[in-house]
Amino acid sequence: MTMTPRLRKLALTAHVVSSVGWLGAVAASLALAVAGLISQDAPMVRASYIAMNAIGEVVLVPLALASLVTGLVQALGTTWGLLRHYWILIKLLINVFATIVLLLYMQILGYLAGLAAQTASPGADLGVLRNGSPVAHAGAALLLLLVATTLSVYKPRGMTRYGQRKPQPQPAR
Amino acid sequence: MADPPPYPDAGDGTDLELGCGSITGAPRWVKVLGIIAAVLVLLIVIMVLTELLTGQGPARHMFGGLGGQTPPSSGALFSGVGGHMPLAGGHAP
Repeated sequence: MTMTPRLRKLALTAHVVSSVGWLGAVAASLALAVAGLISQDAPMVRASYIAMNAIGEVVLVPLALASLVTGLVQALGTTWGLLRHYWILIKLLINVFATIVLLLYMQILGYLAGLAAQTASPGADLGVLRNGSPVAHAGAALLLLLVATTLSVYKPRGMTRYGQRKPQPQPAR
Repeated sequence: MADPPPYPDAGDGTDLELGCGSITGAPRWVKVLGIIAAVLVLLIVIMVLTELLTGQGPARHMFGGLGGQTPPSSGALFSGVGGHMPLAGGHAP
């Protein structure tokens, strides 16, 4: 089943917006994670973890899910297919993996944000709060999403065995 | 070798201009990417195992690394953060 060109462009726009938005939100989270790790300013450290959690809940998770869904629509609704080309297959794996890790990690971010709210009292030990994990996770996510974006732009050659076996459907007119 | 077929949507005014390429096995870029991914996964597994076995290590990213604190078993701690509740019964993974 293929979409009409107009619908296809709409779906493509939604996919690009959600995917690039996800990338940008991860970059913002990485900046906050670094600030939370190295800043000497106690309110800044606490605010970083609370903001990271808010960004995660309100921006990262919705955009990750939107990117996944619109990517599936884009692949299955066009003659590209989901499993025919390596670059699409690898993007799918990256998207699913990053989304699962994000959903699991939101629990940890929520815990850190709660801890940051609890340590708001003067003299609280920020060493308990400082944590390199958000930096590592946001950095890895940024790397993965950059790989996915690069694959989308370059569309490197290569068809899977499935793609070679299946006859190529005719594009929609 | 047969000519590679054109990309399916080529010519409809979009940005799809490359051919499909090799029809024999995975192309080199897929193999290189796979090797890099395998090495990274191996490193992560080693870091996690190191943490589990010694209680220390570069991957000590959660509650063992937070001054020995354990996550809350109720949502009370999270009431100050927009009412966020843990996803799985209040326990960290």
